[in-house]
Amino acid sequence: MSRRWQSVLLDFGIGLYGAVLLYRIVWVHMVQDGEAPPVTPPELGFYAVAGLIVVGLGLYLRCTLGAWIRWRQELKQWQRICALHWGLTLLVLTIWAGWVITKVSPLDLLSAEGLRSAGRLFGALLSPEFSILDKALAAMVQTIYIALMATLFGLPPAVVLGFLAARNIMRGHPLTFAFYAFLRVLINFTRSVEPLIWAVVFSVWVGIGPFAGMLAMTVHTVAALTKLYSEQVESIDSGLVEAVESTGAHPVQVVWFGVVPQVVLPFLAFTIYRWDTNVRMATVIGVVGGGGIGTLLMQYQGLARWHEVGLIVLVIAAVVWIMDYLSARLREAIA
Amino acid sequence: MTFLELQNVRKIFPNGVVALQDVSLRVERGEFLAIIGLSGSGKSTLLRCINRLIEPSSGRILFEGVDVTHIRGEQLRQYRRRIGMIFQQFNIIERRTVLENVLVGALGRVSIWRSLVGAFPTEVVEEALHNLEIVGLADKATERVRMLSGGQKQRVAIARALMQRPEALLADEPVASLDPATSHSVMRYLEEINRQLGVTVICSLHFLSLVRRYARRVVALRAGSIVFEGAPAEITEEWFRYIYGDEAQEVEIR
Repeated sequence: MSRRWQSVLLDFGIGLYGAVLLYRIVWVHMVQDGEAPPVTPPELGFYAVAGLIVVGLGLYLRCTLGAWIRWRQELKQWQRICALHWGLTLLVLTIWAGWVITKVSPLDLLSAEGLRSAGRLFGALLSPEFSILDKALAAMVQTIYIALMATLFGLPPAVVLGFLAARNIMRGHPLTFAFYAFLRVLINFTRSVEPLIWAVVFSVWVGIGPFAGMLAMTVHTVAALTKLYSEQVESIDSGLVEAVESTGAHPVQVVWFGVVPQVVLPFLAFTIYRWDTNVRMATVIGVVGGGGIGTLLMQYQGLARWHEVGLIVLVIAAVVWIMDYLSARLREAIA
Repeated sequence: MTFLELQNVRKIFPNGVVALQDVSLRVERGEFLAIIGLSGSGKSTLLRCINRLIEPSSGRILFEGVDVTHIRGEQLRQYRRRIGMIFQQFNIIERRTVLENVLVGALGRVSIWRSLVGAFPTEVVEEALHNLEIVGLADKATERVRMLSGGQKQRVAIARALMQRPEALLADEPVASLDPATSHSVMRYLEEINRQLGVTVICSLHFLSLVRRYARRVVALRAGSIVFEGAPAEITEEWFRYIYGDEAQEVEIR
């Protein structure tokens, strides 16, 4: 896109965004003190007009950010200062809007009653109840195995897809390249949906429990590993591939002797890292009913038994730390 | 019949770079041909067009009178098996043993299934050991390649190429990453293979002193065209400046 269109688009965006902030936050929230009303067509029209006004200002007075990125050095002093103020105003408005939307309230944070409750809770967490240690460990083992199974089930499809989603392997033929593009989109979509949401999908499908959590993580693992693997395949040294090709080897042999030796260890390192990530994820997924230690945590939290919650948090922290350390050492050893 | 013939070969890369323009060349069986020229003059492209690692944009390549410009699939693989290749960066598998690397050269005549599980026939393994003897690395067969020196790595690559029982050997700057003493040792192995085994060698080189010492014929490329063809002794001071540019000065490698 040319700089001209970039500048126009930027000005339009600034006008539109500024109008949204002014109307939605300043007018509705602050002045009228009401809840956000539904968006109506006339309101959208108003935003568009605001955008066009800024574009006009940029083109004729040259005193906007868009004008600044388009003309740079040619601008006069006052035009540059004016452009700067557009940016500054927008930044201040944005922070203000964020404050209002997240309902930031220092009073709640520092109220005497709130502080007392928090103190009680932290006190309980710091004096964990060790009598449920066996129960917590059993749940933790379940979590680790959920993560392990998800990694193992995700591994074979990810290895295959890792090659099929690598540009340098697939660009030879229009048909394979189309498949590559399709696969990229699919993988990126799958990866952008958080495992927590996959867990909700699978708990409807197979019922709430460890199996749903494991399936959710498997799907996410396949997508994440495919991306990592394919990037590794794309970054290999093509010299070795050339050398194997020049011997008159079959394409299958070229991949096996030219590509695979270069990616085996990185693949292994990514997989170990993924298992370690999955253990942390499995804990969170457990909170929404995916089984294991997360579910146990939810049960005690629901009963407000904070000493027990404290122990569970302790176990999670210890295991995550150990996994982290082990996986780092393992990856170092094979690197 | 000419052993290898290039007729009006052109190569234009997708980004518009003209790497070769109208190159015609005849190579006789048993020759030791050197290709010289500046970096980017098209030496690597020319070598890669010969075994079709790079597809020429136009022109013809004849091998023993047979047009190999457009062959594909199994036919192309059969053709490549007859021509070994070694590279500046050696292009061998660093984490595998010397023997495993040499066996890669036999992939063309071992069944896919056997090669994938690493079950190479005994006679192939014996041939690999024999080829390691030729390049003086018989005692290194079970060592990992990454423990070897640069010169030894290039000799592993030569042994790998020999596994193809090649009729020709393409060498793309084979000694450009090696020190002078090692360069001569590698070049002497190429010379031996050329003389004793009768393998045609086509070798791109940087140093004229190496060309004078080893090659019997030279082709010089400049901006993708052949500008000189003849015996190494015929490269005068004037020719040298024409091929390498006025700024160039000859560096000796002894």
